[in-house]
Amino acid sequence: MNILGIETSCDETSLAVLEFSPKKIKLKSHLISSQVKLHAPWGGVVPELAARRHTEVIIPLLHQALKQARITPSKIDLIAVTGGPGLITALQVGVETAKTLALIWHKPLIPVNHIAGHLVSPFLATSSWPLANHKTTWPAVALVVSGGHTELYLMKSLGQQKLLGRTLDDAAGEAFDKVAKLLKLPYPGGPEVAKLAKNGNPAAFEFPRPMLNKTNYDFSFAGLKTAVLYAFEKAKKKPKTSGQELAANVCASFQAAACDVLVAKTLKAAAAAKAKTIIVAGGVSANKELRRQFMAQTRSLPAIRYTLFPDKEFTGDNAAMIALAGGIEANGHALKPYQNNWRRIQARSNWELW
Amino acid sequence: MKGQKFISKSAAQTKLLGIKLAKQLNGNEVIALVGNLGSGKTTFVKGLAKGLGVKDVITSPTFVLMKNYKAKHKTIKNFVHVDCYRIPGIELTAIGLGDFLNQADTVVAIEWAEKLPKKFKPKLVLNFVNTKQPNTRLIKIKSPQDR
Repeated sequence: MNILGIETSCDETSLAVLEFSPKKIKLKSHLISSQVKLHAPWGGVVPELAARRHTEVIIPLLHQALKQARITPSKIDLIAVTGGPGLITALQVGVETAKTLALIWHKPLIPVNHIAGHLVSPFLATSSWPLANHKTTWPAVALVVSGGHTELYLMKSLGQQKLLGRTLDDAAGEAFDKVAKLLKLPYPGGPEVAKLAKNGNPAAFEFPRPMLNKTNYDFSFAGLKTAVLYAFEKAKKKPKTSGQELAANVCASFQAAACDVLVAKTLKAAAAAKAKTIIVAGGVSANKELRRQFMAQTRSLPAIRYTLFPDKEFTGDNAAMIALAGGIEANGHALKPYQNNWRRIQARSNWELW
Repeated sequence: MKGQKFISKSAAQTKLLGIKLAKQLNGNEVIALVGNLGSGKTTFVKGLAKGLGVKDVITSPTFVLMKNYKAKHKTIKNFVHVDCYRIPGIELTAIGLGDFLNQADTVVAIEWAEKLPKKFKPKLVLNFVNTKQPNTRLIKIKSPQDR
């Protein structure tokens, strides 16, 4: 089955053609047009700008995606589009494009939850796809961590998930961005904080590990951000080190606190659920320190067979994961119910995956 | 509460102030929240939402700019949480804030309201100030002219 994936929930316009079968997947083309530079002066994504840029690039990207995949529309079996959650103005561009294609090409159309896409993203690597349908992989505990999300799920199998906990205030990626802004680092702030943290001392500041000792699986990052603010302001007044060293120490200490909480809560949930696999996905899963800590700590746990991260190109928002999630949802079902779906589908900015 | 000053010594107290303010609302109100990072704006909004009978967890709207919640209150049915941290307020019309203004059954709380266009007329302006003590915040409730 050839699936055309479309993703426009935030600031990346992405299209992909994925050949899907339960035994084998092959990514035939995958294009991402990032708007990071467009939004940088604003310190974040501006909805109206995002929608306009999506509209400009989506059709040229579609042509290019089909061309690179060496495929004609007649060979596409299913269209999968991100239906939400995300910025409504941005989502609408992808959804309306997908609906139009479904109508004129007479194709079945499936709306995919953006988080469901992130949850399956580690399996896009062809080498890990065999794990997806294997008994020894499941259950898994999955952490989705990005600028807009920090959620912990229990996955019984591929496409079967239940929410265990989530952030009660700021997303982890948002905390990275806000700390970056505090230190006057450029946008997007997450990678900049990680870069500075490399030269800093993670024990220079003792930041709180919010919610670490709570019995639930919820997160909180607003208090950590405030603690960073106060510590930084105080240290600036009585400088013991150079400004550069101070910033590096703040970044390293903040990153250590954020990683500690993310890793500890995920492992706690994994132990309670007797999980065999840990999945970490989303934009912040590209953070090397977070990966290192997950790998180091799961190595000592015999119950955990696999610790899976998406390949770097699939950590951010992308259409390949949307195509894969669409394939997983449609797999084993007749595609007929998805025919004429375009009449019913609407972008849903608050679509929650519970 | 207009013209009053409050000293909050904890996040719980800030939240409680939000719950109290909610009791004085009837609908068709815009509340502007002004103050620095970590000064308690979102914490206050959590209380405000609770006071209006919102059951969902209020999370930061910084990333998506605006979140809508169902309220369970005599006259107020919708609660809208807006954040201008990243962008000038004028952009908010593009994401549909206009649909929620001047609605009898809706309360709108806007963080980083100092970035709102001047023509915007909130019912109340709350000023949040970080003090030297890490847990203490000064909260001033003012009328819109003083913004």
